[in-house]
Amino acid sequence: MQRRSFVKTAMAAVAVTAIGATAAVAENPVLKIGFVGVTSGPAAAWGISNQRSMETRAAWINETGGYTIGDTTYDIEIVSFDDQKDPKRAIAGMEKMAQEGIHYVVGPNVDDGAAAVRPVAESNGIMYFPYAFPKSLYEAPASNAVLGMVANYQSGPAIYKYLMAEEGVKTVAFVAANESDPLSQRDGGVEAAKALGLEVVSDNVTYQVDTTDFTPVLTPVMRARPDLLVLSGVSPANAPQLIRSARELGYEGVISTETAQDAGVLAEGAGDLANGFISVGGASTPELASPAMNEFVQRYTDMFGEYNDESNTKVYALEYILETLKADPAAITDVDAFQATMDTFEAPNPFMNGDAKLRYVGMTSFGQKRQVAVPLVVNVYQNGTFETLFVAEVD
Amino acid sequence: MFGFSSKQLIGVGLFLFAIFIGVPLVIGATGRWDFYFTLTSVALLAIASAGVWLTFYIGRINIGQGAFALIGAYVSAILVVKAGWSFWISLPAAGLFAAVVAVLIGLPILRLRGVYFAMITLVLTQVVTLTALALPVTNGAKGISNIPLPSGISVFGIPILPDFAAMENTKLAFYYTACIIMILTYAALYRLVNSRLGHLCRSMQQNEELASSIGVNIAYIRIVIFAISSFFGGLGGAMFGSIAQSVYPSSFQVADSVNFMLNCFLGGLGYVFGPMLGTLVLYFGWDLLFEFGKYQMLIYSTILIVIIRFLPNGLLSIRFGKGGDK
Amino acid sequence: MEQILANGVYLGSQYAMIALGLTLIFALMNVLNFAHGQMYVIGGFVTYTFYGQWGVPFVLALVMSCVTLAILGALIEKFLFAPVIKGSAREESTMLLAAGIAFFLDAVILLVFGEKQRGVPKIVDGVFNWDFRIIMPYDRILICLLAILSIVAFIGLMQYTKTGRALRALAQDRTAAQLMGVNVDRYSMIGFALGAMLAGLVGGLLVTITGVNLGMGGPTSIKAFMMVMIGGAGVISGAIWGGIILGFMEAIGLALLYQYGDITYLLIFVSLMIFLAIRPQGLMGKPWG
Repeated sequence: MQRRSFVKTAMAAVAVTAIGATAAVAENPVLKIGFVGVTSGPAAAWGISNQRSMETRAAWINETGGYTIGDTTYDIEIVSFDDQKDPKRAIAGMEKMAQEGIHYVVGPNVDDGAAAVRPVAESNGIMYFPYAFPKSLYEAPASNAVLGMVANYQSGPAIYKYLMAEEGVKTVAFVAANESDPLSQRDGGVEAAKALGLEVVSDNVTYQVDTTDFTPVLTPVMRARPDLLVLSGVSPANAPQLIRSARELGYEGVISTETAQDAGVLAEGAGDLANGFISVGGASTPELASPAMNEFVQRYTDMFGEYNDESNTKVYALEYILETLKADPAAITDVDAFQATMDTFEAPNPFMNGDAKLRYVGMTSFGQKRQVAVPLVVNVYQNGTFETLFVAEVD
Repeated sequence: MFGFSSKQLIGVGLFLFAIFIGVPLVIGATGRWDFYFTLTSVALLAIASAGVWLTFYIGRINIGQGAFALIGAYVSAILVVKAGWSFWISLPAAGLFAAVVAVLIGLPILRLRGVYFAMITLVLTQVVTLTALALPVTNGAKGISNIPLPSGISVFGIPILPDFAAMENTKLAFYYTACIIMILTYAALYRLVNSRLGHLCRSMQQNEELASSIGVNIAYIRIVIFAISSFFGGLGGAMFGSIAQSVYPSSFQVADSVNFMLNCFLGGLGYVFGPMLGTLVLYFGWDLLFEFGKYQMLIYSTILIVIIRFLPNGLLSIRFGKGGDK
Repeated sequence: MEQILANGVYLGSQYAMIALGLTLIFALMNVLNFAHGQMYVIGGFVTYTFYGQWGVPFVLALVMSCVTLAILGALIEKFLFAPVIKGSAREESTMLLAAGIAFFLDAVILLVFGEKQRGVPKIVDGVFNWDFRIIMPYDRILICLLAILSIVAFIGLMQYTKTGRALRALAQDRTAAQLMGVNVDRYSMIGFALGAMLAGLVGGLLVTITGVNLGMGGPTSIKAFMMVMIGGAGVISGAIWGGIILGFMEAIGLALLYQYGDITYLLIFVSLMIFLAIRPQGLMGKPWG
């Protein structure tokens, strides 16, 4: 029974793969880029905005004739794997990517997944771009992970510094979900705030991710009357409710977070109460978004019915991979060449007005260039849209 | 030989041949190297599921195996990283620690039955996850990462176990290790079910009061079974930590506990090898449906519903008919 | 202190409603419905679509949530649970079916309603503020009252109607009920539909406050399990008490233990385990459920 069912499933697998392979007939040779992340379950929003950004960009490239690297023009195919936010599945996903001959993968979305896939990625020669912040992923001896966004320990201090200067913020409180990623981000934020000379009045209040009523969670925090309330690593689902509860409890200070949020979700969940909420975004605001960014948003909306502002930060990873490959065509199959190119790589940033550059950074935080230079755009929510508060650079 | 029929021996032989020689041959021929990890996962999850099956055997619905797998993963990781133990010694230690925890927790909670036991074990999974988040020794939210690969063991200069870190490709090594542990687990399980203890368990599954009245020390048996069950959970978890080279509080959570239980249901509660087959179908099935992209979950769950709708006693009931054993 | 009580009442009433449907289904068919949370989420999304998207009056949208879930529940019972219960050697096997349905509904929710957090405009504006001793937005007070009203209506239904009496008879003793001439199959279906409808109703009510997203299903089911266990499995009054107790435990726990931060919930869960170990049948359950 065991053996028979295995052979059967193995044969089915081969058949399925064959069908999958023949379905992707194209004129150009196909360059596969992987995505391993969470696209189902409670955290689906993170991975789906990621995956859709990649698919939108790939469809756009393919429609306009493909992407030329060296002498060859490729069609881009995105291979996605849903890891269900389970580190065990994430490893399986990375194995799958290796199986597909993919060397460049975006994801995973969370700390534990990013740490778990490291052995597989390094032994199979895969560069991966996680959206997870632990420094050990990017510091030597780790070699194959590239942080795909701005980390909270980079954006946090910039935001606090700005608020101290502009709003006279002196005291700060932190609230985080009782999970690995938010707790780590909270600890990083507390450290940064203390280093800047802010008084941390509350940093130990946590909530379960499945909380439906945040009033009891926030009541003790409000008693400390902080000038600034930081929602560490808050998920887009919880942010509006936390804001709403804080405001309804009579809180009048500033609320901020270091993660990307969606204006539509804030508008629906908290309405005008979310006005003044500070979060980190990409080149989404009208004054920053280049025509290419606007076209990206338009194409995303056409493809999937509705844009997600979280994609403003997630549009970059694929672009970085492709631009770097263009800079060194040998890197298509050789990640060592990719890593060598990373040190000197520079290209114009197509999604932002002005002379912003795509380049790899991270010397200060990680001691090696293992981070994409996404512009640190700090947004403030105002009546249904984000407005740019300030723009900074990460080094 | 040992009371096995020749048919059974041939079956076991075929099975061993399939997993140790057949699978590598098929993978070598098709080039699907990624299946090694998937099948390694199946083997490890099947070990933990075997424990859950064993608690079903004494009439308890166990949704707490994720807790013991997480305990096992942490114990092994801490022993290897902080105390510098060899992984191979930390592995049984992880299982034993899980078993000790099971004894302590089992004493009060094994009195519960039915959904009450199910619920308390479900809560237990959350308690262990939250404890891992809060304790300093587990490194809290940051988890334990960069765990070294298992080192080699040699006695009198003769290598018994190879050094994984020196290998070009650890996939095959982990696959064989997981399969060997799985086979030992199921051999132990089979032996146990067919021992005197197994008969006593069956009598308890039918009616605890009756079993107790004819002189069976049910409290003692419950604890022993629960400890063995958790030992398996600890083993599986520890192996996983070593493959991922990292452990986080979310490495095993409620969803895993539920999945271990579902593996048993799907394979069939009446069959020793049920959880193995259930794990294979549930875990491997998800991987095979990978090609369907965003419809993966829909198709997966539909198949699951159809299976249980038409085979409510588990997959193995096709072959053995209702009420048959092994 | 007043604030803690108010929070407790509010949380307790919404929890009790979630637990009611689950315990009803459990009492009738001994099915631990893992998909209960997903049904709650669907209820929320239906109300969101009608009220938030299409501008249908809120009450009507609520009715649509109830109707959708009642139909869904009836179909699930008739075509899935009933045959599986008949065919399985151990009735726990229905847990696999319930989990399969939970996965299925999760997939459907993702495909139909998307991955984003959704919310609807507030039904009532303003915040009730009694001298900073009790702060409670009016919409919460309204939802709390509606929840209590629904619970009372449900109890009335179970006590004073023919359907209610039949359901109670069924819950008490299936065989005896059958012998007394109760159409077991029909009332199992009605009961399941009623349980699902309650999930849909509370989902629709709460979407006005907490919003809804596809991830809420699983955790909601687990929370509902806990309440049912505290009160005693399969006992209607037990579910209500369980919900209220868990609501107060959270409200009080968060208020008193907040300075321990990360371990607040750990303590809540541990005390729950201790309680269950001491009193295995919950507050008012039949021993050995």
